[in-house]
Amino acid sequence: MSTATELFKRTSTLRKEGRLDEALAMLREAMARGGLSPEEVDRAGRFIRKARGEGAGGEAGLRVHLLGQFTTSWLVPAVTAVGWGQGITSDVEEGGYDLVLQDLTRLSASSEPPGVVVLFPWNNRLLNGSAPAGDRVADERAFWKQAWEIAGRMGARVLQVGYDWMAPGAEGYALATETGGTIDLIRSVNAAIRQDRPPGSYFLDLELVSGMMGREAFYDPRRYYWTKQPFSERGVVRLAEHVVAGIRALTTGPKKVLVLDLDNTLWGGVVGETGPLGVALGDSPDGEAYRAFQKHARALSKRGIVLALASKNNEADGREPFEKNPDMVLSLDDIAAAEICWEPKGTTIRRIAQTLNLGLDSFVFVDDNPAEREQVRQAIPEVAVVDVPVEPAEYVRALQAGLWFETTGLTDADRERAAQYAVERQRRELQETAGSMEDYLRSLEMLADVREIDEADLMRVVQLLGKTNQFNLTTRRHTRDDVVRMLDRPRSIGVTLRVEDRFGDHGLVGVLLAVPSDDDPQVLRVDTWLMSCRVIGRTVEEFTCADLIERAERMGYRRILGEFLPTKKNALVAELYDRMGFRQLDSGDGSSVLYELELAGASRPVHYLSPKGAVAEPVG
Amino acid sequence: MPDTLTRLNEVFQQVFDDEDLEITPETSAKDVDGWDSLMHVTLIVNAEKAFGVKFTSSEVAALKNVGDLVHLIDSRKHAG
Repeated sequence: MSTATELFKRTSTLRKEGRLDEALAMLREAMARGGLSPEEVDRAGRFIRKARGEGAGGEAGLRVHLLGQFTTSWLVPAVTAVGWGQGITSDVEEGGYDLVLQDLTRLSASSEPPGVVVLFPWNNRLLNGSAPAGDRVADERAFWKQAWEIAGRMGARVLQVGYDWMAPGAEGYALATETGGTIDLIRSVNAAIRQDRPPGSYFLDLELVSGMMGREAFYDPRRYYWTKQPFSERGVVRLAEHVVAGIRALTTGPKKVLVLDLDNTLWGGVVGETGPLGVALGDSPDGEAYRAFQKHARALSKRGIVLALASKNNEADGREPFEKNPDMVLSLDDIAAAEICWEPKGTTIRRIAQTLNLGLDSFVFVDDNPAEREQVRQAIPEVAVVDVPVEPAEYVRALQAGLWFETTGLTDADRERAAQYAVERQRRELQETAGSMEDYLRSLEMLADVREIDEADLMRVVQLLGKTNQFNLTTRRHTRDDVVRMLDRPRSIGVTLRVEDRFGDHGLVGVLLAVPSDDDPQVLRVDTWLMSCRVIGRTVEEFTCADLIERAERMGYRRILGEFLPTKKNALVAELYDRMGFRQLDSGDGSSVLYELELAGASRPVHYLSPKGAVAEPVG
Repeated sequence: MPDTLTRLNEVFQQVFDDEDLEITPETSAKDVDGWDSLMHVTLIVNAEKAFGVKFTSSEVAALKNVGDLVHLIDSRKHAG
C-alpha cells in the first residue's frame, strides 16, 4: 500500500474522530515534502477546503478568488493544497465559467472582497473571433483593463495570467510566429497586458509555464471539450504552483534567504579530506555543474536574496576554498552569515535567522545530504527545504522549480541588499569591540533622511506595506490607490525614512502614514508605522517618533493617536508605543490597543541619528 | 486480483473521500452525494489512471451508470 493511501486513511480516521487540525497538519507536511500524484493533490485540496469550511486549520486565511475564461474548478483544490504545503493559508473560491467581469462586479459590491484576484484568460475569442486580428487584440486588452479597474476599486491585488497556445495550428510552426499568425497574436496580447497591467500586480506568463513542462504534457485537449478546462491533471498542479508563487510575491514577498551547504553542494567532494584545491570545481563535468550552481546563487544575491552558509565542517576548512581556490565563483563577501561547525543544522540555521534578524519562514535550504535535509525539516518546519537530486547538474533546476524567489518587481533596495548584509558583518564585529551600547550607536554615525512619499517611492512603499510583518504596528496591506488617497487628504503625513551609517546605506527602511482623526481634527491618527527589521535596536524607531512629534506640532495637532493591531508576527512592537511615552487607552474591543500622546509638553524619545544634510552632532 | 467493480469502488471512495461508499452496477450520479458533472470528470481520469486505460470522449459521453463504466474498463483491458 502506498504511503499516500496510508496518509488518506489516517486523515479520514482523524476526521471521523473530529481531529481535523491533526489531519490538516499531516497534509501540510505531505504537501511540503512533495511526491503526491496530481490526483492526490486534488484530494488533499478538497479535504483541506472542507475541513477549513468546518472551522479547522486556524484563523481565516487570505481570500483568493479565481476568475477564468475557462473552468477553474480543478485549480481551486490544487491552489489550496499547494499553498497549504508552503504555509500560505488561503481560502480559495472561484467564479463562474467565463463570467470574469460579472463576478468581479458582484465581488466589488460584497462586504468582504477577496485580497487577491487571479485572472485567467483563454485564447478562444482571440483566436476564433471573426473581427480583424488587430481589433481582437485591442478587445482583449480593453477587457482586462476593465477587470483591473474593478479589482483596484475593491482593493484586491491582481495576479494576471497570460495567454497561451496549445499547438501552432494550421499555419504550421514556421508561419504561426509571423505577424498576424496564431502564436504572434498570443504574444502580442501578452506583451500588451504585461505592459498595461496595474503597478504591483504579478504577471504569470502561461507560455513560459507550459513551455517548461511541455505543452503535450501540460494540456489535455479532451478536458477542454468535456468541461472547458484545458489542462492535464499534472498541468493543473503545475499551474497551481505558479499561482501560489504569484500569491506569495503579492503578499509576503519572495523568500529572502538562501542557506547553502558546502561539501557536495557548492563544490564536489569533502574539503576536509581533499584540501581547498582538491575539491571538484571548474574544468571537469561535475566541477562545471558546481560552478554553474554557484553562479546561480551569486545571481540571486545580486537581485537581493541573502546568502548564508550552514556546513558541518571545521570552520577553517570550510572557509579555505573561498580564500584559496581560484575556481570559486562565490566569495565570502557574498555571504551574510556563515555557520561552519559541527552542531545540528536545525540549530545553526536558527542562529543565522537571529543574526540576520529575518524570519525562518523566509528561508530556503539547499543541502545534498538527505539526512541533513530531514533534520532541518523536523527541527524547523517553516524552512523550505529543497530536495536536490544526486546529480549536481540538476541543482539549479531543482532550486528554481520551487519558485521561491518570484517577485512583482525589483527595487534598488533589492539590488543593494546583499551588499548591505555583507557590511552588516563588519558592524557586528564593531559592536563586539565597542565598550557600551551608547558608544556603539554613536560610533555608527547614523544619518536619517525623512522624505514625503513621492511617485518614485510609491512602489517601494506599497511593497513594504505588503510584506513587512514584524515591525508593523497595524499590518494594513494598503494598495497603491489606498496610499494615494491618504496622501491626498489635507493635513495627512506620509513619509519614508532612509538611514545610512559609516558602513553603508540601508536605503528605505521605514514608512509612516498618519491622517487627521475622523472624530477630532486636532488628533493625528497613525494609520501605519512599519520599519525594516535590519535597523532594529539602533534607536531608529525613537528617531521616527521624535520626527512625528515635530511634524504633528508644526501642523497644529494637539494629540497623536497610535494603534497596535496584534498579529502572529508583530509581537516585537507590542510595547512600542509604551516605550515611546504614549499612554494606553481603554480599547473598545479586544482586537486592537489604542495609545495617545498629548503633544503639549511631550518629550522626544532619545536617539542617535542626525538628519541627513545637517551638521549637528547626534542628540543623545 | 480484485474484480473491476471492487477496484472501482476504491476509486470512488478515494474521489469522494468516503470510505463507507459502496457502489453497485446500478449506481448512477443521482445516488452519490457530490457526483456532479465536474466530479464525473475527476472520477473518469482517476479511473483511467487506476486501470491504466484511456477513454474517448464518445465513450465517456455514453456512460449511464457504474455498470457501463465497468463494462468499458473490462472491454478495454481484454482488448489491450
